[in-house]
Amino acid sequence: MLNSNYMIKIINRIIFISAVFLFAGCDKDFVEINTNPYAVISIDPALLFAGAQRTVESGWEVENTIAQQFVNPFNSGATLGPNFNADIDGFNNGRWEGSYPGSLKNMIHALALLKGSSNVNLISMIRIWKAQIFMGLVDTYGDVPYLDAGKAYTDGIFYPKYDDDAAIYTDLEKELKESIAAMNPAGDFVSADLFFGKNAAIPNTTAAAQVAKWKKLGNSLLLRLGMRYTKVNSAKAQALALEAFNGGVMTSNADNVYVKYDGVVFTNQRNYNITTINPRLYYVAEPFVNQLKTSNDPRSGFIMAKFADPNNPFADNSPDLTHANQYGVPVGVISDVLVNPPYRGIRGGGYNYSQINIKSLGSLTAPTYWVTYAQTSLLLAEAAKRGWIPGGDAAAQTYYENGIIADIDTYAQYPNGSVVSAAAKTAFLTNPAIAYNPANALKLINTQYWIANIANGTEAWANLRRVNFLYPALSTNLYNKNLNGGFIRRLSYPDYEASNNSANYFAAVKAIGGTDNLVTRVFWDTP
Amino acid sequence: MRNVFSLPLIYLSRVLFLFTLFTIVSVNLFAQKTVSGTITSEDNKPVSSVSIKEKGTSGGAISDASGKYKIDLKNSKSILVFSLIGYASQEVSVNNLSVMDITLYPDIRSLDNVVVTALGIKKESRKLGYATTTVNTEDLLTNRTTNVMESLEGRVAGLNITPPAAGAGASTQIRLRGQVGFAGSTNSPLIVINGLPLDQEARNAEGGFDLGRDPANTQQRDRGDNLQVVNPDDIESMTILKGSTASALYGSRAAAGAIIITTKSGSKNKGIGVEYTSSYTTQDALNFMDQFQTMYGLGQNGLKPISQADAAGKGQFGWGAKLDGSLVPTFDGTMQPYIAYENRLFDYLQTGSNFTNTVALSGGGANGSYRVSFANTDAKGIEPRDEYKKKIFNLGLNQKITDKLKLNVNINWSNEIQSNAPQIGVQGPGSVNFFTRIAPSISLSSLKNSAVNPIDGTEARTSSFQNTLQNPYYANQAGQNWVNERDRILGTATLRYDFTDWLYLQGRYNYNQSISNIESTIPYGIGTSVPKNADNTYKGFYNITEEKRREINADFLVGGNKEFGKFSVDASVGGNTWRIKNNAFTQGATNFIVKDLYSIGNGNVKSQSYAFSNRRVNSLYGLAEFGYDRFLYINVTGRKDWFSVYNSSNNQVFYPSVSGSFIFSELLKNQKWLTYGKLRASWAGTGSANGVDPYEGILNYDINAFNFNGQTTATIAGVNAPNVALTPFSVDEKEIGLELRMFKSRVNLDISAFKKVTTDQVLPVTVSNTSGYLGTKANLASLQNSGLEAMLEVKAIQTKNISWTSSWNNTYLSTKVLAISPGVKDFLLLFFNSTGVEFLGQIHYTEGLPMNQLYTRTYLRDANGNILVSPAGRLLATPDFKPVGSSIPKFTGGWTNNFTYKNFSLGIFIDYKFGGTVLSSTALNLLRQGMSKASLVGRRDGETGLIFPGINQATGQPNTTKVTDLQGFYTDYRNLQIGDPFIFKSDFIKLRNISLSYNLTNLAKKVSYLKSFKGLSLTASVRNVAILYKDIPGLDPEAIQSSGDIRAGYENTSLPTVRSYNLSLNVKF
Repeated sequence: MLNSNYMIKIINRIIFISAVFLFAGCDKDFVEINTNPYAVISIDPALLFAGAQRTVESGWEVENTIAQQFVNPFNSGATLGPNFNADIDGFNNGRWEGSYPGSLKNMIHALALLKGSSNVNLISMIRIWKAQIFMGLVDTYGDVPYLDAGKAYTDGIFYPKYDDDAAIYTDLEKELKESIAAMNPAGDFVSADLFFGKNAAIPNTTAAAQVAKWKKLGNSLLLRLGMRYTKVNSAKAQALALEAFNGGVMTSNADNVYVKYDGVVFTNQRNYNITTINPRLYYVAEPFVNQLKTSNDPRSGFIMAKFADPNNPFADNSPDLTHANQYGVPVGVISDVLVNPPYRGIRGGGYNYSQINIKSLGSLTAPTYWVTYAQTSLLLAEAAKRGWIPGGDAAAQTYYENGIIADIDTYAQYPNGSVVSAAAKTAFLTNPAIAYNPANALKLINTQYWIANIANGTEAWANLRRVNFLYPALSTNLYNKNLNGGFIRRLSYPDYEASNNSANYFAAVKAIGGTDNLVTRVFWDTP
Repeated sequence: MRNVFSLPLIYLSRVLFLFTLFTIVSVNLFAQKTVSGTITSEDNKPVSSVSIKEKGTSGGAISDASGKYKIDLKNSKSILVFSLIGYASQEVSVNNLSVMDITLYPDIRSLDNVVVTALGIKKESRKLGYATTTVNTEDLLTNRTTNVMESLEGRVAGLNITPPAAGAGASTQIRLRGQVGFAGSTNSPLIVINGLPLDQEARNAEGGFDLGRDPANTQQRDRGDNLQVVNPDDIESMTILKGSTASALYGSRAAAGAIIITTKSGSKNKGIGVEYTSSYTTQDALNFMDQFQTMYGLGQNGLKPISQADAAGKGQFGWGAKLDGSLVPTFDGTMQPYIAYENRLFDYLQTGSNFTNTVALSGGGANGSYRVSFANTDAKGIEPRDEYKKKIFNLGLNQKITDKLKLNVNINWSNEIQSNAPQIGVQGPGSVNFFTRIAPSISLSSLKNSAVNPIDGTEARTSSFQNTLQNPYYANQAGQNWVNERDRILGTATLRYDFTDWLYLQGRYNYNQSISNIESTIPYGIGTSVPKNADNTYKGFYNITEEKRREINADFLVGGNKEFGKFSVDASVGGNTWRIKNNAFTQGATNFIVKDLYSIGNGNVKSQSYAFSNRRVNSLYGLAEFGYDRFLYINVTGRKDWFSVYNSSNNQVFYPSVSGSFIFSELLKNQKWLTYGKLRASWAGTGSANGVDPYEGILNYDINAFNFNGQTTATIAGVNAPNVALTPFSVDEKEIGLELRMFKSRVNLDISAFKKVTTDQVLPVTVSNTSGYLGTKANLASLQNSGLEAMLEVKAIQTKNISWTSSWNNTYLSTKVLAISPGVKDFLLLFFNSTGVEFLGQIHYTEGLPMNQLYTRTYLRDANGNILVSPAGRLLATPDFKPVGSSIPKFTGGWTNNFTYKNFSLGIFIDYKFGGTVLSSTALNLLRQGMSKASLVGRRDGETGLIFPGINQATGQPNTTKVTDLQGFYTDYRNLQIGDPFIFKSDFIKLRNISLSYNLTNLAKKVSYLKSFKGLSLTASVRNVAILYKDIPGLDPEAIQSSGDIRAGYENTSLPTVRSYNLSLNVKF
């Protein structure tokens, strides 16, 4: 008992420590503890918009393949895809997954953050770009979630319903028109804008200059949207084309919407597979090669090449660019058949056919073009030819030739690209296969639209359906005879939507006619 | 909270203080007569901690370490009551004696039956109203496994151990009474080591594609679990608290039960002892792979390869020509005979081993004891270069500071170095993936000697599945390297003060810190023929990750017990704070400038990240036990937890339990056959806060590490939408049990029935990605685990020289999903074919069905059940995925037989599991790639195609259309996701273990220079002796990849299982 004082001290200390540990408050400081000191929890919405602007939604193997510009003939294992008219989830979902949980999520969130903000230019830019993304979704899948989309966090909508494709188009039209009208040259300058901001490929420093570019972009998209109605409602197509034309569309390559990559940290993801994963599997499609070859197209060398070893194109620093030596892989022919006559057989570790020129168009440093003056001018050519905008054939020819030259000029921006001489351009424009011909104008114009969209497969494919695949170079793909007419008209929805968003998915399938497949048509693609 | 609880505590501390003072003073004031003496046991050893009470007064004393006691009496004619748990109480009249020596005898009705329960509280088994099992630690030593839990497979009713086939340092799956939550939640029991609670943390291989996505390679390699730090030689006792009543005092950590481990800390008055144990194990891969076809070689369409390029393009297919021994081109350009090599995987694998040495030093004096041990393990897996080394240092210390104040310290430090743990359950890397899916006619020597493309050092292309079939020889030769070093320290200090013999206060501080460092190098040429990037740098990855985790558990407990005539009360209150801080640095580099140099500095593109989290749970709890006449007991407990990770409006939960035991044999003392009989019943409400991480409720943003052409860009961080409304989930468990010991404990039976309902789980919910997010978390779904556990032990022979004990345990488990959420009856957890790693099937939770339900499409059938085929003779699938079985076995159990003859003891152990389902990716791949015997159907001798037995869908007549494209036909199984041929029962009966021990102590003592030996024994054992029954062909049903639940029923490129041979030597001196 000699140490009773000492013991009491110890006891008291144990109790005191326990009490302090615990009863200073059973949930005291919990809010502070549960706040991550390192996380970014508020953000400038313009940075989210910038992040969304460089999201690429699709690769070579889907839309470009349907448009018969590109082929992966390897059919063994799991790589059956559009070249074999196969409805393969992994191929169908690229655009969906790049858009909804990618660019759209960030843009829709940014718009929610901007609610009540006076940054009318930033808001309008996001609305325009969002409309562009949704247009791609509608063109690809038809009815898609629109009004409910991207709102899990902001509005608690986890299972968006699908909206009617025509209704979405109507709303996109409204979005474009409202945004174009709302933009204010004296308003906010969006420095972060990757297209026309301070660090853009085409830099600007004032709101006025930036707004001017965006208005042209908005109207060019309105023109694109309007032209989609060609088959389904030509009066509407005419009205929108004229409205866009009057509003002021792109007028030179200085209006182009594109981003550049440094090739190290940021690369053109679209070109990742064809350069990095088994290049031997990827080739240019025969219809496309034949078009460039027969017309002696000056773009050919930037687009395609024959490499000594198709499996290691990097090793070949002087690939064969001669027009005459280019051969495309016929569509719908499997790789095992390609190795035997009448096909061209093996070359190195791959097949004896032309590939995308991975030193230029196919490079990891190739820029990504979304909306170009070339596209716009070619659409104007068609509108003029159809008499929807003033000028008739004369104007159509000018728009046509401007479009071709503008597209040729974009290749100066590609790695190993160069400015094509004026003489060569003139020679090309006077080539009988290319020269404007009123009797054959729509075919000529849209064939050039096809070429101008080699790096933009979604647009190439949408336009083919809009004008009913009217050019001579294309061939029907009858690989498994399960597509009516041999062309894919639509991609099917991701399989997982059937389980992740069941009720809305099945309602949508019902709404598009009962079958979620590759031959159901989107609303503007009437037979 | 602060106001409500802090004041009472301050008062309580003052009351305790005064009370203590009063007690100490009163003893001195009222002493009138003193009795002293020594208490010994039957074998004349001093017995400490015996409670001595003067009947009818409050006076009492406790015997010290040497069995001595001294008590001051009020009345010199009093009766003294001597009592200690495990011994029969004695009442002795003082009769004016001043010295009384007492011998205590064991209480035969509660032999060995002091159980360590939750919070480390020791209780007599009779008082418990729930089931516990105390593990026979001897079994851990005679059935050694690298991970201590693996040796308990099949041995304890209610405990289901499932070791994956995942390499030398792998984790095990531990499930008590089923699976408390859906796959993905923490379903393994709480592990409590010397009072320190920690999660098992099975770092299992849950599948992840190699290149780029997971540069640290953590998802494709099993990185062990926290039980790896426990050395079986250090274990003093291990108690399995099966149900949640047993673990209820752990509140939100109690849902899955608990395993309480106490390590040795020496014994008092023992002097210095040294113990040395050496154990050597070798392991051979078990080859059940009798499924490879040896008739056809590399190629497609029945053709031989015609060129090197052709061979390299079709290496993934066994659809070539008939093997004829002729010379054909191979991928490396040589001409080689067209023959089959069926044993390549097993020729590639090596013999595994484990060499463990433990040395322990222990000692004890009058006031304390200690034990310190050091163990070194050096193990090699069957996969070449798979190495696992661990060192465990363990210290246990008991010290009496004063008569009433005791200090107990335990420190466990471990260091594990795991190198090149096998890559399993993935496409791409992994030897099993490669050797089961590469054409049978490629020789192992070619794959080994021509793995590297001599031109540019990339992996020589062996197939068109270049990135998904990676030659492991290339990885080995090109310097792929992966090392995970982990250091962990577990420290516990407990200070206990006994105010009187019936009131104590205990404070405890636990510290658990771990540091894990992973370094991973993936050489540039793996899975590609293109060595460089577009910027002319080399491909490849280098990644270094360091994770530090620090947990503190501090608790206190005030406890007291009192008897009032036939009534007894034992009550305690306590509190705990649990604080966890994690941080992790990751640095990665790619685009290497100098060839073959993998470092951060050499990488042109670098990435780094820092993760941090901080979390806290505070708790208050209390327990009370009421007894009547030593045969009726009621226990109640309650605990309230406060969580930092939840929103303040829903951050607290109360967890109650009540249990009762009735020792009816006390009322049937005339029934001589009945030694002991007890009925028990309990109910508990526990739960789990797992599934929610710190900061999850707050949306945040990632600012891109690199400016895009000079412009900062940002995105929303993560793919899940935060949900602030989450609450912890709850578990409600009812249990009844019967325990019988008959015929002088020769026949013992223990039966429990339980029903456990889990509600409001925190589950990751996959939402439509059109919402912008891939998922969120929500409280939903309820499920039920119910079952019957039985243990029957018969001590058939017990003579001086010979004994035979036979014991059988069996668990019947029934699981059921009760509900998902209103309007939703099914929850898809994972579509395996969309992972890029697996090939077939889905895992679902469906209302009314057992848990972990595997789904596939199946053959399309007509109304009569006949299989339908298309007019072209091809397969047709049901449009929907259908449930094909649960991965969870319904029956698990084991039968142990221990024989002893003089100094020999022999253990034979058989265990079994029945009623589970397994889906085999390997069987599918072998079939579609033309590798398996099953793929021969249609091309056997005389066959020119396959007329699949079925009904033509168009005509309704038997199919007569012959399919000649066999590859296309069999590939349809994958494309259409038809699972029928790949669904198997995971049932097995295994002769798990045979061990033979020989105690040489007496023999040794006859040798003069070995006289100092206190013990010497040798044990030899064989593990996985034979599979007596199984359903799945070609594989061991236990050859599964992961110890998690997501892929529990999924067989996909795990390693073969092993048979191990062990020899151990134990010396004490």
